[in-house]
Amino acid sequence: MSQISENKQISPYMAFYMVTTMQIGVGILGFERYIAKSAGHDAWISVIIGGLSFNVLIWMIYRVLSKENADIIGVHRNLFGRWIGGALSCLLLIYFSSTILTVLRTYIEVIQIWVFPELGTPIIAIILLGLAYSYVLGGIRVVAGLSVLGFFLTLPLFLLKYYALKNAHYTNLLPILDHSFSDLMVATKGVTLDYLGFELILLYLPFLKQPEKSQKWAHFGNLFTMFTYLVTVFVSFVYFNQEQLQHTIWATLTLWKIVDLPFAQRFEYAGIALWLFVVLPNLCIGLWSVSRGIHRLYKIKQKSALRTMLFVIFICSILVVDRQQVDILNSKVSQIGFYILYAYIPFLFVIQLTLGRVRKTKNG
Amino acid sequence: MQFSLSNKERVISMRFFKKKKKQTGSNFDPTKDTLTFPELMKKLTASADFSTVKQSSLSTFYISYYKTLVNPEFVHRDLLPYITEIPLKNLDDIEKHLPLDGMVKTSDVHDIANKVTEGFILIQMNKDDPEGLLVPSLSTENRQISIPETEFSVVGPKEAFVESLDTNLNLIRKRLPIPEFTVKEVRVGKLSKTRVAIIYIDGIADKENVNTAIQRVNDIEYDHVVDSSYINQMISDNENSPFPQLIDTERPDRVASVLSEGKVAIMADGSPHALTGPTTIVEFFSAFEDYFLNWTLASVFRLIRLMAVMFSVLSTPLYVAVLTFHYEMIPENLLATLVASRNDIPFPPILEAIVLELSIELLREAGARLPSKVGQTIGIVGGIVIGTAAVQAGLTSNVLLIIVALAALASFTTPVYQMSNTIRLLRFPFLLFAQFLGVLGVAICFAFIISHLLKLTSLGRPYIAPLYPLRVNDLKDALIRMPFSMQNTRPSSVRPQDKAKMNKKRAIEKHDIED
Repeated sequence: MSQISENKQISPYMAFYMVTTMQIGVGILGFERYIAKSAGHDAWISVIIGGLSFNVLIWMIYRVLSKENADIIGVHRNLFGRWIGGALSCLLLIYFSSTILTVLRTYIEVIQIWVFPELGTPIIAIILLGLAYSYVLGGIRVVAGLSVLGFFLTLPLFLLKYYALKNAHYTNLLPILDHSFSDLMVATKGVTLDYLGFELILLYLPFLKQPEKSQKWAHFGNLFTMFTYLVTVFVSFVYFNQEQLQHTIWATLTLWKIVDLPFAQRFEYAGIALWLFVVLPNLCIGLWSVSRGIHRLYKIKQKSALRTMLFVIFICSILVVDRQQVDILNSKVSQIGFYILYAYIPFLFVIQLTLGRVRKTKNG
Repeated sequence: MQFSLSNKERVISMRFFKKKKKQTGSNFDPTKDTLTFPELMKKLTASADFSTVKQSSLSTFYISYYKTLVNPEFVHRDLLPYITEIPLKNLDDIEKHLPLDGMVKTSDVHDIANKVTEGFILIQMNKDDPEGLLVPSLSTENRQISIPETEFSVVGPKEAFVESLDTNLNLIRKRLPIPEFTVKEVRVGKLSKTRVAIIYIDGIADKENVNTAIQRVNDIEYDHVVDSSYINQMISDNENSPFPQLIDTERPDRVASVLSEGKVAIMADGSPHALTGPTTIVEFFSAFEDYFLNWTLASVFRLIRLMAVMFSVLSTPLYVAVLTFHYEMIPENLLATLVASRNDIPFPPILEAIVLELSIELLREAGARLPSKVGQTIGIVGGIVIGTAAVQAGLTSNVLLIIVALAALASFTTPVYQMSNTIRLLRFPFLLFAQFLGVLGVAICFAFIISHLLKLTSLGRPYIAPLYPLRVNDLKDALIRMPFSMQNTRPSSVRPQDKAKMNKKRAIEKHDIED
């Protein structure tokens, strides 16, 4: 992969922003309900367990990729040959595309529920995909730039938590460790879905200068995501009691509603608009990576791959009609993601280890 | 502009446009090779202000020059007395006796044509022989150096550039008395033959930036280059961007300090403005006066200016968005005020906003086109009379009037004139998006602009540099201005050859209590 010229590459520390922005998507706006279902007020422990387990996965991904010095498509080709490897890459790309679709469609759903109930899916989809297109055309540098700017633009949203903490009941969190280990594990499985997204590093890693240096930043990025989730879960748990939380679909959005400034209130409108800068980097990194993957797999121009993808995703986003379908889409995609990360990545890691040994003995 | 079609293309174009003659380039060419000396003299003498005088006191020779370019006093006081009193055999004699430098002896017709039109005096022994001596004697009418108008500062130097390139270079050079201060000169424009200087400090400025600037100026294909703002548009990285990509300044002190940061300046003869680059967007919001004030004050003023820009772009669109779609966002007490002011207005917020914004633009445009005394009257008539009347007639709400007026005021705080134009223009797409999708529309428009800015470059360097690519070290002089003791490196986004501005250890000596 040394053929990527240096002026197309981005600094290693970009891994931090790209990992966090990919992980934090639309899920954070309402994930408390799902994890609190099983682990109750102890779910914050699951957030920590999930976050730490993802550090292990990041380490594995870096090991796998750095050994072959390639992206996942090159790794597949080297390990499984052209056909099986190609098929695996293809499946992976389909999964990545479906995550893009999920993010897009869920954000549209949020807009329709909270801001514009009358607005049709196609209009928002066209605007968002058009925006994403204009970014991806600029290449990875522009996409990475968006994730940095998006990060800093949405960071002030943390301040809004203050209004919830004003009315907090800290006793909600007690007693600690009230739930069984298996309950915590079920919640952990639920929370892993919100850490998904960083696995796109499988495709864009060769575009980071000195990939080995970027590993540290990827870990930091994951830890920052964990911190964000912890703050979010903590604030939601001390504000709502467990009973309320089960009836609150979008906990964070509901919390924004109580913001009360002298010149503005009901901050969820501004918040959802600002959330564009969380969703957009997600779409852009995803679209860039998958179109790059298609370009690597089939020798199609990346631009035409991108256009085709935009079209397909647009059609798919129209086909998902109501809230229930969005929910199904979300749960299915995250289930697949769960297995890809917790089963396929370790599997790849082991295969590479054993194959590496076999090759060594063959050569030696 | 020599542009020719290939044979095949010509055949095709003949077939389809038999009647139309295709103009592929300009036929006018003052530098064509076949120019002969008699032809040249014929062209020159066709002008009324060209004079040829035969001098035959002791020896005979001819003096030709443009009366309008050469000061006649110079001819009679500094030229003729030295050569009319002595017998002369040839041009070498004349050259020897004249106490002037910069004389050229040539028989090249093009050289003569170029030099004479620039204000040289042609001295010949024989009227039909192209061989002649060219004596420099240009007298230009210069404006006095005056106070900067668009970039005025209360403290600091009060000199501004004038229209003469040499005077301008003098103003900069006396601020940088070092041999590394380099001026490269290029001529641009077939008709105007504008002298364009590319200025940089050798050893600090990045070679690539300098070469890019020289290359782009050299590549300019245009017949008449009037001003440095022409060059600004012609060499910009993205011609279609509303954002200026080089800073336009009239302050020699600003140019000197920018050069010392490792940037490149471009100046044109006849233009009282210098262009500097590579630049970044934050530089457009830093007034040069920031460096004359204490850093705490300067930083606060800079932040106020940045907030003014945000306010100027976003306030009216947010008003439209909130009143059209999300009136729930307004707290109860404020809502009462707004409702009271909008109660009798027959128009939707967007129409109200666009009409008011346009009338502010009208006022500004009328003020800019009128002499300054009349302009003030227009301001009073437009601002106070029309504004009050519009509110009393119930056509606009006074809240919006306040917002629009404040936004216009805020847009004028931008120190660089061209950027303040851009900012006022940006408001209109925001307004349309706000009408279409409310606050979300504003965010979408913002995202489109960020996408544009991320792709934009200035002389090949990223435009929003200290923010992205994130260079923490450059942030010391971006959104705020840190004290001079911390300004120890040159901005890394322009890739200076020499990074350190000073020895930091010597600048900051730490003292204990009672030391």
